[in-house]
Amino acid sequence: MSTDKHLIEQVAEGDEMAFRTLYDRYSERTLRYVYTLLRNRHLAEDVVQDTMVAVWRGAGRFAGRSKVSTWIFGIARNKALDLLRREKRGERVPDTPLVSPDPAPGIQRDERVKAALQTLSEDHREVVFLTFYEHLSYAEIGRLLGVPEGTVKSRMFHAKKKLAEALA
Amino acid sequence: MSDCRAIQELIPWYVAGSLSPEERQRVAGHLLECEACREELAVVLNLQLASQAAFSEIERPSPEVWQGIRERTQKDRTARLDLGSFLLGFTMGARVRGGRVPMRADLRVLGRKVPLFNTERGGLK
Repeated sequence: MSTDKHLIEQVAEGDEMAFRTLYDRYSERTLRYVYTLLRNRHLAEDVVQDTMVAVWRGAGRFAGRSKVSTWIFGIARNKALDLLRREKRGERVPDTPLVSPDPAPGIQRDERVKAALQTLSEDHREVVFLTFYEHLSYAEIGRLLGVPEGTVKSRMFHAKKKLAEALA
Repeated sequence: MSDCRAIQELIPWYVAGSLSPEERQRVAGHLLECEACREELAVVLNLQLASQAAFSEIERPSPEVWQGIRERTQKDRTARLDLGSFLLGFTMGARVRGGRVPMRADLRVLGRKVPLFNTERGGLK
């Protein structure tokens, strides 16, 4: 199986098969990440599309200093934040629930935490996602978000406190 | 214990498996001796499981997303010049991508690619 960096090199050379493989590897993860920021599936899919087009066109600029995943997430994050800024200027981003309104029964702990996740700010939910779902280190999260490591830890501390209350 | 605050800050990344070996060892050593931090560990483990379940419920992108990408990227064109053999050769490529025409060239020496230039190399985006 090709490594992500090898795939990016092939994409930079115009290899469409490699691009499809990269898409299959990252589209779902990118959608989940962007969804934690936007909480709107339609807009999150638009951002995934814009992100992957940017990956196709910019693969030659990938310098290999970061992981491919954080490079792609960085592009997706910028595009999602642009969208949020437009929303603040008056274009509405409709909100939808983070989780299914028809959850499987009998998993009360998970349901309470899911509900609590919806009440977190984007900043806090993002750190929870990148830590627990993407398994990024706090240093990688800091670089991706452009904030000091202490800020990442602080966001996690507050998010964890709120989520833990849901478990109590 | 005075170290508890610092250790509890690291526990989410301990649970996620993304600490450096040194930090991991430090947290593990502390957990052996501190019941309060073991309780915190149990809470964070539960949080991780529940959050992963929540994020996993977001389904993969619809097929229209890929179709849209194909429509937008197929307008891009690539031109390529390839000289020599697998062991020793020269490749130069140019393409039209999103209104730009980036170019790159590589030497092939004993099957390995040696970059000569790439007009795209730069920042993230």
